[in-house]
Amino acid sequence: MTLEKPTTGGEGAAAPARASAHRILPPPVTGQEFVLVGVIAVLWILLGIFTPAFLSPSSIQPLLVSVAPIALIGVGMTFIIITAGIDVSVGGAIMLCAVITAKLLVTYDVPLLVAVLLSIGIGIVLGVINGMLIAYGRVHAIIITFGTANIFQFLALRVFGSSTVNGIPSTLEVFGRGEAGRTFGVPHSFAITIIAVALAWWYLRHTSGGRHLFAIGGNTQAARLAGIKVQPRVVLAYGLTGALVGLAACFFIASGTSTLDQSIGSGRELAVIAAVVIGGTSILGGRGSVIGTLLGAVLVQTVTSGVTQLGWPSQLANLFVGVFIIIAVGTDLLRERARKTS
Amino acid sequence: MSAEQSAGDTRPENPGGYRLQMSGIAKSYGGVRAIRNADFAVRAGTVHALVGENGAGKSTLIKILAGAERLDAGSIQFDGAPTAITSTTDAIKLGVQTVYQEPQLFPELSVAENVFVGRELKRGVRVDWSGQADQMHNLLGTVGLADRVATVPVGTLSIAEQQQVSIAKALAGDASILILDEPSAILTDSEIEVLFTVIRRLTATGVSVIYISHRLDELFRIADEVTVMRDGATITTKPIGELSIRQIVELMVGGVVSESRPTDGPEPGETVLELDNLSRTNHFENVSLSVRAGEIVGLYGLIGSGAGDIAGVVYGMDRATGGRVLVEGKEVVVKSPAKAKRLGIHLLPANRSAQGSFSFQSIALNIVVGELPLLSRIPGWASGRKERSIARDFIKRLAVKTPSENQPISAMSGGNAQKVVLARQLVKRPKLLVLAEPTQGVDVGAKEEIHRIISGLADEGTAVLVVTSDLGEVLRISDRILVIRAGEIAAEFTPDATQVEILAAAAGADPEVIGAAGSPGTSGAHRASGTPASVSKETQS
Repeated sequence: MTLEKPTTGGEGAAAPARASAHRILPPPVTGQEFVLVGVIAVLWILLGIFTPAFLSPSSIQPLLVSVAPIALIGVGMTFIIITAGIDVSVGGAIMLCAVITAKLLVTYDVPLLVAVLLSIGIGIVLGVINGMLIAYGRVHAIIITFGTANIFQFLALRVFGSSTVNGIPSTLEVFGRGEAGRTFGVPHSFAITIIAVALAWWYLRHTSGGRHLFAIGGNTQAARLAGIKVQPRVVLAYGLTGALVGLAACFFIASGTSTLDQSIGSGRELAVIAAVVIGGTSILGGRGSVIGTLLGAVLVQTVTSGVTQLGWPSQLANLFVGVFIIIAVGTDLLRERARKTS
Repeated sequence: MSAEQSAGDTRPENPGGYRLQMSGIAKSYGGVRAIRNADFAVRAGTVHALVGENGAGKSTLIKILAGAERLDAGSIQFDGAPTAITSTTDAIKLGVQTVYQEPQLFPELSVAENVFVGRELKRGVRVDWSGQADQMHNLLGTVGLADRVATVPVGTLSIAEQQQVSIAKALAGDASILILDEPSAILTDSEIEVLFTVIRRLTATGVSVIYISHRLDELFRIADEVTVMRDGATITTKPIGELSIRQIVELMVGGVVSESRPTDGPEPGETVLELDNLSRTNHFENVSLSVRAGEIVGLYGLIGSGAGDIAGVVYGMDRATGGRVLVEGKEVVVKSPAKAKRLGIHLLPANRSAQGSFSFQSIALNIVVGELPLLSRIPGWASGRKERSIARDFIKRLAVKTPSENQPISAMSGGNAQKVVLARQLVKRPKLLVLAEPTQGVDVGAKEEIHRIISGLADEGTAVLVVTSDLGEVLRISDRILVIRAGEIAAEFTPDATQVEILAAAAGADPEVIGAAGSPGTSGAHRASGTPASVSKETQS
């Protein structure tokens, strides 16, 4: 590359060492991001052509509001899936956090900030329970979280007491889809999500804690031998997801009407996992990107909202998301298989 | 011996320059004594070979040193100071680094990240990437890799390169003792040369290397001292120059004499299986052999020799990349286990629990599961009564100890479970029975019985191919013994060969050395391949 070669000293040549400093940084993106940006751009342009209203702020803003909680929880889910785990209990956890927060706001009139912090706190407790059972019980994550999903749901339904929570105060609008929930046209919930994605991206790329998550997912046994404290890291990933679930639960309450019913959170775990997987995070662990997850969430919500705006049957959204998941997972597995046989 | 003691200068009370002294080590797992009494001392800046048969206790000793297992008795000194190693972290702090046979790396992460994982350089809370890049340069140079490799994902490198990365990783952890567990088993000859160059470079800087290998010829080129283990005890430690391969092998097997199969059976009949220059890339090359009806052919090889892979190809689990398979004279392509069974080839798999048992199912089902269509004339119907009667029949014939055929196989001892898995191969009489490690993890009594069953099958006309890494076993039951080394047939023996001869062939001894010292009973032909090992240690800067 350079014209001036260092004198052939073999090991003594220290000159190129400094120059290569940047090159050992892990790549900032996995590559899937570019594909996703392309797909989303094409979809938006097509939707813009067929339903011109799609590209107006009044259509994009609700889209971003719907992306926010999925992408926010997706950040935590990305951490988990990078460690080769999974959390299917986030739907139940959303429900439990949301109903407790709503009851606190309605019945006890607690200030908004306190309610949000409590929701995050509850989320952390739920996530840490999952993480402890998985890390120290050494049971596969899908079994544990499938179990806790049902338990969380049971607890939430008990709190609901077979009725809706009515009269949720308007203070939550700051996270909502109305005018009060935006600054310079950007929904606050979406802005918070962007900040979370940025912090998570930096953490995963630049800190040893973040790099250890990749190591754990790549080869747990080797990670342990390398002196990585595997179990606390795993608990951290689930605890973080819990915290984000707590915050996202507030977004969910805010994005609805003043009534909270028992359908809150149901099926959201699938949307979150879809966003993560479509975003290029390997379900086998060891590889992933929170930026991809954000884009994955945007793609999933674009499809959902686009299908509605085109006036197509809403089930078609499921079809498209399903196809995207299979393409994403399929390419991941093919890639892995190609590597194994090479 | 080779290098000046450069790092052990901190401890004055350290006569002999010992980096490590382990004495009176004992370790049991449950009731099994893995190590009875081991003394092991390694000097600073030397290569110390550790050899012994499978199960001699090498791995356990290394695990204790690496902190993966805790010792029951004994003491460890480091640079002359008593030390306790209770965890892998303790061992790492002392500078004990292990490079395992299978590289323990993270395929998705770059080489640089793999090297520093778990001990990242930091600048504040951030990983100091440029600091790591600086160190990478020197580390890669030491292990003989190019600078540009630093950013490449490890999963894309060759096995040999991955091993070099593992060594770099160990060095980044300030290794004072580097344990190499069978490092050459997965390498080609030229790759081994690279490895040796790296090892010499390390010892020159004062690192001690513990080198575990089954390929004894190598030891004379790289090791300074050798310690031999047998039956959980260290037998001797000597400078390598004071021993010959033959002497090492004798120390390893302890001169145990084992009787061979009585040859009063009928003469072998027609050839059932013939392999003609069969190859599977990276596993074995140009293997030609034949097995006749009523004959037991033993295929003996050390771990990583490729012997087990041959069984996999014969049974259609893996595909051959070259050569032909002939069954009763007709060329066949065994593309699946189902096809193998149609040809009358049955396999007793090596890994009983993973490949052989349906753990929670009854003994009866475990016996008949391969031949359910036999259970009834109505297609798709399986008669429970017939299942139980077949099972009872085999339980009696093979003397399986169980209260009833309805017991789950998971409740049985290793030996009895193995008989059940063996019974499955016999429900429909095989033309060729391939047995992979038939008595691994089986107690002595059951081992004896299984050997008798195998012998009986051959007497009834079944062709038997036994793939084993158990030296006593192969001598015991085989009519002919083929030794596999580095994926090729290295030698053929008759059952009156000695353990020493066979092990020496499998471990890569110089054929002339063995030939010259051959015992009078030797009648096996030595078709040993490979280059003659140079016995003198190479002079190297």
